[in-house]
Amino acid sequence: MKLLITIICLATFLSAGKYDKVKITEELSQVLVYHKGKAVKIHRIQDVKNHLTGSYAKISRPCPDKCIQPISIGNGIETIGEVEVVEFVKNQVNHHKGVLVDARPKNMYAQETIPAAINIPFTISNNNVAIKSIFEILGMTINPDSSWDSSKALDVVVYCNGPWCEKSKTLIDAFLREGYPAKKIFYYRGGFQMWKSLGLTTVKTK
Amino acid sequence: MRLKRLAVLFLTLTFFVTAENNITPDKSSATFSVNGKSYTIERVQGDNVYLTNEFSLTSRPSPPFFIQPFKVSDNVETYGELEVIDFLEKERGVFVDARLTSWFQKSNIAGSVNIPFKIFLSDTPQRDKTLKDLGATKNGDSWNFSKVKTILLYCNGAWCGQSPTAIKALMKIGFPEEKMKYYRGGIQSWQLVGLTVNTPNGASK
Repeated sequence: MKLLITIICLATFLSAGKYDKVKITEELSQVLVYHKGKAVKIHRIQDVKNHLTGSYAKISRPCPDKCIQPISIGNGIETIGEVEVVEFVKNQVNHHKGVLVDARPKNMYAQETIPAAINIPFTISNNNVAIKSIFEILGMTINPDSSWDSSKALDVVVYCNGPWCEKSKTLIDAFLREGYPAKKIFYYRGGFQMWKSLGLTTVKTK
Repeated sequence: MRLKRLAVLFLTLTFFVTAENNITPDKSSATFSVNGKSYTIERVQGDNVYLTNEFSLTSRPSPPFFIQPFKVSDNVETYGELEVIDFLEKERGVFVDARLTSWFQKSNIAGSVNIPFKIFLSDTPQRDKTLKDLGATKNGDSWNFSKVKTILLYCNGAWCGQSPTAIKALMKIGFPEEKMKYYRGGIQSWQLVGLTVNTPNGASK
Protein backbone atom coordinates (compact mmCIF):
# COMPACT_ATOMS: atom_id res chain seq x y z
CA MET A 1 0.00 0.00 0.00
CA LYS A 2 2.74 2.37 1.03
CA LEU A 3 4.61 1.50 -2.13
CA LEU A 4 1.55 2.18 -4.27
CA ILE A 5 1.09 5.62 -2.72
CA THR A 6 4.77 6.36 -3.25
CA ILE A 7 4.52 5.33 -6.90
CA ILE A 8 1.41 7.45 -7.46
CA CYS A 9 3.01 10.44 -5.78
CA LEU A 10 6.18 10.04 -7.80
CA ALA A 11 4.27 9.64 -11.07
CA THR A 12 2.18 12.72 -10.33
CA PHE A 13 5.31 14.67 -9.50
CA LEU A 14 7.18 13.56 -12.62
CA SER A 15 4.31 14.25 -14.99
CA ALA A 16 3.36 17.54 -13.35
CA GLY A 17 2.99 20.24 -15.94
CA LYS A 18 3.45 17.91 -18.88
CA TYR A 19 -0.24 17.70 -19.54
CA ASP A 20 -1.08 21.28 -18.68
CA LYS A 21 -3.79 22.67 -20.86
CA VAL A 22 -2.72 26.24 -20.26
CA LYS A 23 1.02 26.66 -20.62
CA ILE A 24 3.41 29.53 -20.12
CA THR A 25 5.30 29.06 -23.40
CA GLU A 26 5.35 26.18 -25.86
CA GLU A 27 8.27 24.58 -24.02
CA LEU A 28 7.48 25.64 -20.48
CA SER A 29 4.54 24.72 -18.27
CA GLN A 30 5.95 25.33 -14.85
CA VAL A 31 8.93 26.38 -12.78
CA LEU A 32 9.62 25.29 -9.23
CA VAL A 33 10.86 28.04 -6.93
CA TYR A 34 11.35 28.72 -3.28
CA HIS A 35 9.33 31.40 -1.57
CA LYS A 36 10.40 32.14 1.99
CA GLY A 37 11.84 28.65 2.25
CA LYS A 38 8.82 26.83 0.86
CA ALA A 39 8.68 25.14 -2.54
CA VAL A 40 6.12 26.75 -4.87
CA LYS A 41 5.24 25.80 -8.42
CA ILE A 42 4.80 28.72 -10.82
CA HIS A 43 2.38 27.75 -13.55
CA ARG A 44 -0.95 29.06 -14.85
CA ILE A 45 -4.51 28.59 -13.63
CA GLN A 46 -5.80 25.64 -15.63
CA ASP A 47 -9.48 26.55 -15.55
CA VAL A 48 -10.13 28.16 -18.94
CA LYS A 49 -13.25 29.81 -17.55
CA ASN A 50 -11.39 31.61 -14.78
CA HIS A 51 -11.82 35.39 -14.73
CA LEU A 52 -9.56 37.99 -13.17
CA THR A 53 -11.48 39.40 -10.21
CA GLY A 54 -10.79 41.62 -7.23
CA SER A 55 -8.74 44.77 -7.08
CA TYR A 56 -6.52 43.84 -10.04
CA ALA A 57 -9.54 43.67 -12.36
CA LYS A 58 -10.16 47.31 -11.56
CA ILE A 59 -9.62 49.52 -14.59
CA SER A 60 -10.48 52.98 -13.25
CA ARG A 61 -7.33 54.51 -11.81
CA PRO A 62 -6.92 58.16 -10.87
CA CYS A 63 -4.15 60.10 -12.57
CA PRO A 64 -2.12 62.09 -11.48
CA ASP A 65 -1.09 59.27 -9.16
CA LYS A 66 -1.76 56.14 -11.22
CA CYS A 67 -0.83 57.36 -14.67
CA ILE A 68 0.01 55.04 -17.55
CA GLN A 69 3.78 54.50 -17.63
CA PRO A 70 5.93 54.60 -20.78
CA ILE A 71 7.17 51.24 -22.11
CA SER A 72 10.72 52.20 -21.15
CA ILE A 73 11.98 54.01 -18.08
CA GLY A 74 15.11 55.04 -19.95
CA ASN A 75 18.65 55.21 -18.59
CA GLY A 76 19.53 51.98 -20.36
CA ILE A 77 17.14 49.83 -18.31
CA GLU A 78 15.65 46.96 -20.31
CA THR A 79 11.91 46.31 -20.06
CA ILE A 80 10.79 42.68 -19.92
CA GLY A 81 7.55 40.70 -19.88
CA GLU A 82 6.19 37.59 -18.16
CA VAL A 83 8.13 35.05 -20.23
CA GLU A 84 11.39 36.78 -19.36
CA VAL A 85 10.42 37.04 -15.67
CA VAL A 86 9.71 33.29 -15.51
CA GLU A 87 12.99 32.53 -17.28
CA PHE A 88 14.79 34.91 -14.94
CA VAL A 89 13.39 33.10 -11.92
CA LYS A 90 14.29 29.72 -13.40
CA ASN A 91 17.80 30.57 -14.57
CA GLN A 92 18.93 33.36 -12.26
CA VAL A 93 16.94 33.45 -9.03
CA ASN A 94 16.98 29.66 -8.61
CA HIS A 95 20.77 29.70 -9.00
CA HIS A 96 21.37 32.67 -6.71
CA LYS A 97 22.41 34.86 -9.62
CA GLY A 98 19.45 37.20 -9.53
CA VAL A 99 16.75 38.70 -7.37
CA LEU A 100 13.12 39.39 -8.20
CA VAL A 101 12.07 42.58 -6.40
CA ASP A 102 8.54 43.58 -5.46
CA ALA A 103 8.76 47.38 -5.04
CA ARG A 104 5.29 47.75 -3.53
CA PRO A 105 4.68 48.59 0.13
CA LYS A 106 5.26 45.87 2.70
CA ASN A 107 1.57 45.20 3.38
CA MET A 108 0.80 44.58 -0.30
CA TYR A 109 3.76 42.24 -0.61
CA ALA A 110 2.60 40.38 2.48
CA GLN A 111 -0.91 40.03 1.11
CA GLU A 112 -0.10 38.55 -2.28
CA THR A 113 2.95 38.53 -4.53
CA ILE A 114 4.89 36.66 -7.22
CA PRO A 115 6.56 33.49 -5.88
CA ALA A 116 10.31 33.93 -5.21
CA ALA A 117 10.03 37.72 -4.98
CA ILE A 118 11.60 39.65 -2.15
CA ASN A 119 10.26 42.99 -0.97
CA ILE A 120 12.21 46.23 -1.30
CA PRO A 121 9.52 48.88 -0.86
CA PHE A 122 9.93 51.98 -3.03
CA THR A 123 9.58 54.03 0.15
CA ILE A 124 13.28 53.43 0.92
CA SER A 125 14.24 55.42 -2.18
CA ASN A 126 15.32 58.47 -0.20
CA ASN A 127 17.10 56.45 2.46
CA ASN A 128 20.70 56.19 1.26
CA VAL A 129 21.77 54.18 4.29
CA ALA A 130 19.13 51.53 3.61
CA ILE A 131 19.99 51.44 -0.09
CA LYS A 132 23.66 50.95 0.68
CA SER A 133 23.00 48.01 2.95
CA ILE A 134 20.69 46.51 0.32
CA PHE A 135 23.46 46.93 -2.28
CA GLU A 136 25.79 44.88 -0.10
CA ILE A 137 23.18 42.13 0.18
CA LEU A 138 22.86 42.21 -3.61
CA GLY A 139 26.57 41.56 -4.03
CA MET A 140 27.98 45.05 -4.44
CA THR A 141 31.32 45.50 -2.68
CA ILE A 142 33.18 48.65 -1.70
CA ASN A 143 36.54 49.46 -3.28
CA PRO A 144 39.42 50.85 -1.15
CA ASP A 145 38.64 54.31 -2.60
CA SER A 146 35.05 53.80 -1.28
CA SER A 147 33.52 53.56 -4.74
CA TRP A 148 31.28 50.58 -5.59
CA ASP A 149 32.59 47.44 -7.23
CA SER A 150 29.61 46.04 -9.12
CA SER A 151 31.36 43.14 -10.81
CA LYS A 152 29.64 40.61 -8.55
CA ALA A 153 26.32 42.41 -8.22
CA LEU A 154 23.24 40.29 -8.87
CA ASP A 155 20.80 40.95 -11.71
CA VAL A 156 17.62 42.56 -10.42
CA VAL A 157 14.11 42.50 -11.88
CA VAL A 158 11.79 45.14 -10.43
CA TYR A 159 7.99 45.24 -10.59
CA CYS A 160 5.07 46.91 -8.84
CA ASN A 161 1.30 47.01 -9.28
CA GLY A 162 0.90 47.35 -13.02
CA PRO A 163 1.55 49.45 -16.12
CA TRP A 164 0.02 52.43 -14.28
CA CYS A 165 2.33 52.13 -11.29
CA GLU A 166 5.35 54.39 -10.89
CA LYS A 167 6.94 52.70 -7.88
CA SER A 168 9.32 50.50 -9.87
CA LYS A 169 10.73 53.58 -11.55
CA THR A 170 11.13 55.35 -8.20
CA LEU A 171 13.12 52.43 -6.80
CA ILE A 172 15.17 51.89 -9.96
CA ASP A 173 16.03 55.60 -10.14
CA ALA A 174 17.29 55.41 -6.54
CA PHE A 175 19.39 52.33 -7.37
CA LEU A 176 20.93 54.12 -10.35
CA ARG A 177 21.55 57.30 -8.33
CA GLU A 178 23.45 55.31 -5.72
CA GLY A 179 25.53 53.49 -8.33
CA TYR A 180 23.89 50.17 -9.22
CA PRO A 181 24.79 49.32 -12.85
CA ALA A 182 21.92 49.86 -15.32
CA LYS A 183 22.71 46.73 -17.27
CA LYS A 184 21.96 44.63 -14.20
CA ILE A 185 18.49 46.09 -13.67
CA PHE A 186 15.36 45.00 -15.55
CA TYR A 187 11.89 46.54 -15.43
CA TYR A 188 8.85 44.27 -15.48
CA ARG A 189 6.35 46.93 -16.52
CA GLY A 190 3.27 44.70 -16.68
CA GLY A 191 3.71 44.12 -12.96
CA PHE A 192 1.39 42.31 -10.63
CA GLN A 193 -1.75 43.15 -12.59
CA MET A 194 -0.51 41.61 -15.85
CA TRP A 195 0.93 38.64 -13.95
CA LYS A 196 -2.50 37.95 -12.49
CA SER A 197 -4.33 38.70 -15.72
CA LEU A 198 -2.48 35.75 -17.29
CA GLY A 199 -3.44 33.43 -14.45
CA LEU A 200 0.13 32.98 -13.25
CA THR A 201 0.69 31.62 -9.72
CA THR A 202 0.77 34.02 -6.79
CA VAL A 203 1.53 33.42 -3.12
CA LYS A 204 -0.80 34.71 -0.46
CA THR A 205 -0.35 35.01 3.25
CA LYS A 206 -3.37 35.03 5.44
CA MET B 1 -11.76 83.47 7.61
CA ARG B 2 -8.48 82.92 5.85
CA LEU B 3 -8.43 79.40 7.15
CA LYS B 4 -11.89 78.77 5.76
CA ARG B 5 -10.84 80.04 2.35
CA LEU B 6 -7.80 77.81 2.42
CA ALA B 7 -9.98 74.88 3.33
CA VAL B 8 -12.28 75.57 0.40
CA LEU B 9 -9.30 75.88 -1.92
CA PHE B 10 -7.88 72.63 -0.61
CA LEU B 11 -11.18 70.80 -1.10
CA THR B 12 -11.52 72.13 -4.63
CA LEU B 13 -8.00 70.99 -5.46
CA THR B 14 -8.63 67.58 -3.94
CA PHE B 15 -11.76 67.30 -6.04
CA PHE B 16 -9.89 68.02 -9.23
CA VAL B 17 -7.07 65.69 -8.36
CA THR B 18 -9.27 62.73 -7.41
CA ALA B 19 -11.97 63.23 -10.01
CA GLU B 20 -9.76 62.69 -13.04
CA ASN B 21 -8.47 59.46 -14.47
CA ASN B 22 -6.02 60.99 -16.88
CA ILE B 23 -3.74 59.19 -19.31
CA THR B 24 -0.62 61.00 -18.08
CA PRO B 25 -0.42 63.90 -15.59
CA ASP B 26 -0.88 66.50 -18.32
CA LYS B 27 -3.00 64.61 -20.79
CA SER B 28 -6.65 63.75 -20.15
CA SER B 29 -7.45 62.60 -23.67
CA ALA B 30 -5.95 62.20 -27.12
CA THR B 31 -7.74 63.33 -30.27
CA PHE B 32 -6.49 62.47 -33.74
CA SER B 33 -7.86 61.57 -37.13
CA VAL B 34 -7.32 58.55 -39.35
CA ASN B 35 -8.53 58.51 -42.96
CA GLY B 36 -10.54 61.65 -42.35
CA LYS B 37 -12.35 60.33 -39.30
CA SER B 38 -11.80 61.86 -35.90
CA TYR B 39 -11.28 59.75 -32.78
CA THR B 40 -10.82 60.48 -29.09
CA ILE B 41 -9.08 58.19 -26.64
CA GLU B 42 -9.47 58.59 -22.90
CA ARG B 43 -9.44 56.57 -19.71
CA VAL B 44 -12.60 55.31 -18.08
CA GLN B 45 -13.82 57.73 -15.40
CA GLY B 46 -15.26 56.92 -12.00
CA ASP B 47 -13.98 55.03 -8.98
CA ASN B 48 -15.02 51.45 -9.28
CA VAL B 49 -15.00 50.20 -12.83
CA TYR B 50 -13.93 46.59 -13.29
CA LEU B 51 -13.10 44.55 -16.36
CA THR B 52 -15.69 41.79 -16.61
CA ASN B 53 -15.90 40.98 -20.32
CA GLU B 54 -14.07 38.11 -22.04
CA PHE B 55 -10.78 40.00 -21.75
CA SER B 56 -10.80 39.31 -18.02
CA LEU B 57 -10.30 35.60 -18.77
CA THR B 58 -6.90 34.54 -17.43
CA SER B 59 -6.32 31.15 -19.02
CA ARG B 60 -6.49 30.44 -22.70
CA PRO B 61 -5.82 26.89 -23.89
CA SER B 62 -2.39 26.06 -25.33
CA PRO B 63 -1.96 25.48 -28.15
CA PRO B 64 -2.63 27.86 -29.77
CA PHE B 65 -2.30 30.37 -26.94
CA PHE B 66 1.02 30.94 -25.18
CA ILE B 67 2.39 33.96 -23.39
CA GLN B 68 4.39 35.89 -25.94
CA PRO B 69 7.98 37.04 -25.38
CA PHE B 70 8.41 40.76 -24.77
CA LYS B 71 10.07 41.22 -28.15
CA VAL B 72 9.35 39.67 -31.54
CA SER B 73 12.80 40.52 -32.82
CA ASP B 74 15.68 42.75 -31.75
CA ASN B 75 14.88 45.58 -34.11
CA VAL B 76 11.09 45.47 -33.91
CA GLU B 77 10.29 47.90 -31.14
CA THR B 78 7.71 46.86 -28.55
CA TYR B 79 5.23 49.60 -27.69
CA GLY B 80 3.08 50.31 -24.67
CA GLU B 81 -0.10 52.36 -24.54
CA LEU B 82 1.58 55.78 -24.47
CA GLU B 83 3.68 54.93 -27.51
CA VAL B 84 0.54 53.76 -29.36
CA ILE B 85 -1.19 57.05 -28.57
CA ASP B 86 1.86 59.03 -29.70
CA PHE B 87 2.00 57.00 -32.94
CA LEU B 88 -1.64 57.89 -33.66
CA GLU B 89 -1.38 61.55 -32.69
CA LYS B 90 1.74 62.14 -34.78
CA GLU B 91 0.38 60.09 -37.69
CA ARG B 92 3.52 58.04 -37.84
CA GLY B 93 2.06 55.19 -39.85
CA VAL B 94 -0.69 52.61 -40.08
CA PHE B 95 -2.14 51.12 -36.90
CA VAL B 96 -3.01 47.52 -37.75
CA ASP B 97 -5.46 45.31 -35.89
CA ALA B 98 -4.05 41.94 -36.98
CA ARG B 99 -6.95 39.87 -35.62
CA LEU B 100 -9.56 38.08 -37.64
CA THR B 101 -12.37 40.34 -38.83
CA SER B 102 -14.95 38.84 -36.45
CA TRP B 103 -12.85 40.05 -33.49
CA PHE B 104 -12.30 43.47 -35.02
CA GLN B 105 -16.02 43.93 -35.52
CA LYS B 106 -16.77 43.17 -31.88
CA SER B 107 -14.40 45.76 -30.49
CA ASN B 108 -11.17 47.42 -31.51
CA ILE B 109 -8.82 50.26 -30.63
CA ALA B 110 -9.72 53.64 -32.11
CA GLY B 111 -7.74 54.48 -35.21
CA SER B 112 -6.87 50.91 -36.17
CA VAL B 113 -7.51 49.29 -39.52
CA ASN B 114 -8.14 45.58 -39.76
CA ILE B 115 -5.61 43.53 -41.72
CA PRO B 116 -6.04 39.95 -40.49
CA PHE B 117 -2.64 38.32 -39.86
CA LYS B 118 -3.43 35.45 -42.26
CA ILE B 119 -3.15 37.82 -45.20
CA PHE B 120 0.58 38.20 -44.51
CA LEU B 121 1.31 34.48 -44.25
CA SER B 122 1.24 33.37 -47.87
CA ASP B 123 2.05 34.65 -51.31
CA THR B 124 -1.37 35.65 -52.59
CA PRO B 125 -2.72 38.53 -54.72
CA GLN B 126 -4.48 39.77 -51.58
CA ARG B 127 -1.17 40.02 -49.71
CA ASP B 128 0.48 41.79 -52.63
CA LYS B 129 -2.32 44.31 -52.82
CA THR B 130 -2.12 44.94 -49.06
CA LEU B 131 1.64 45.48 -49.24
CA LYS B 132 1.33 47.78 -52.24
CA ASP B 133 -1.30 49.82 -50.40
CA LEU B 134 1.27 50.21 -47.62
CA GLY B 135 3.77 51.62 -50.11
CA ALA B 136 5.85 48.58 -51.07
CA THR B 137 6.66 47.89 -54.71
CA LYS B 138 7.21 44.56 -56.41
CA ASN B 139 9.62 43.88 -59.22
CA GLY B 140 9.20 40.36 -60.52
CA ASP B 141 9.53 38.31 -57.36
CA SER B 142 11.41 40.77 -55.23
CA TRP B 143 9.97 43.41 -52.98
CA ASN B 144 11.21 46.92 -52.48
CA PHE B 145 10.25 48.29 -49.08
CA SER B 146 12.20 51.56 -49.20
CA LYS B 147 9.03 53.67 -49.29
CA VAL B 148 6.80 51.47 -47.17
CA LYS B 149 4.84 53.03 -44.33
CA THR B 150 5.62 52.17 -40.73
CA ILE B 151 3.11 49.71 -39.31
CA LEU B 152 2.15 49.14 -35.68
CA LEU B 153 0.46 45.81 -35.00
CA TYR B 154 -1.64 44.51 -32.14
CA CYS B 155 -3.96 41.63 -31.41
CA ASN B 156 -5.87 40.29 -28.40
CA GLY B 157 -3.23 40.45 -25.71
CA ALA B 158 0.10 39.24 -24.41
CA TRP B 159 -1.17 35.67 -24.95
CA CYS B 160 -1.99 36.25 -28.61
CA GLY B 161 0.40 35.11 -31.34
CA GLN B 162 -1.34 36.69 -34.31
CA SER B 163 0.56 39.98 -34.52
CA PRO B 164 3.97 38.33 -33.81
CA THR B 165 3.19 35.75 -36.52
CA ALA B 166 2.39 38.52 -39.00
CA ILE B 167 5.59 40.40 -38.11
CA LYS B 168 7.73 37.28 -38.56
CA ALA B 169 6.13 36.52 -41.92
CA LEU B 170 6.82 40.09 -43.07
CA MET B 171 10.43 39.88 -41.89
CA LYS B 172 10.88 36.82 -44.10
CA ILE B 173 10.00 38.76 -47.24
CA GLY B 174 12.26 41.66 -46.27
CA PHE B 175 9.90 44.15 -44.61
CA PRO B 176 12.37 46.26 -42.57
CA GLU B 177 12.20 45.51 -38.84
CA GLU B 178 12.62 49.21 -38.06
CA LYS B 179 9.35 49.89 -39.84
CA MET B 180 7.36 47.46 -37.72
CA LYS B 181 6.23 48.11 -34.14
CA TYR B 182 4.54 45.63 -31.83
CA TYR B 183 1.93 46.60 -29.24
CA ARG B 184 2.24 43.43 -27.18
CA GLY B 185 -0.33 44.30 -24.53
CA GLY B 186 -3.01 44.41 -27.22
CA ILE B 187 -6.65 45.10 -26.64
CA GLN B 188 -6.57 43.29 -23.29
CA SER B 189 -3.92 45.52 -21.69
CA TRP B 190 -5.53 48.51 -23.35
CA GLN B 191 -8.71 47.80 -21.38
CA LEU B 192 -6.88 46.81 -18.19
CA VAL B 193 -5.38 50.29 -17.93
CA GLY B 194 -8.86 51.71 -18.49
CA LEU B 195 -8.52 52.98 -22.05
CA THR B 196 -11.67 53.12 -24.14
CA VAL B 197 -12.35 50.75 -27.03
CA ASN B 198 -14.53 51.16 -30.09
CA THR B 199 -17.58 48.95 -30.40
CA PRO B 200 -19.42 48.40 -33.71
CA ASN B 201 -22.13 51.00 -33.01
CA GLY B 202 -19.37 53.56 -32.67
CA ALA B 203 -20.09 53.87 -28.98
CA SER B 204 -17.09 53.39 -26.75
CA LYS B 205 -17.31 50.99 -23.90
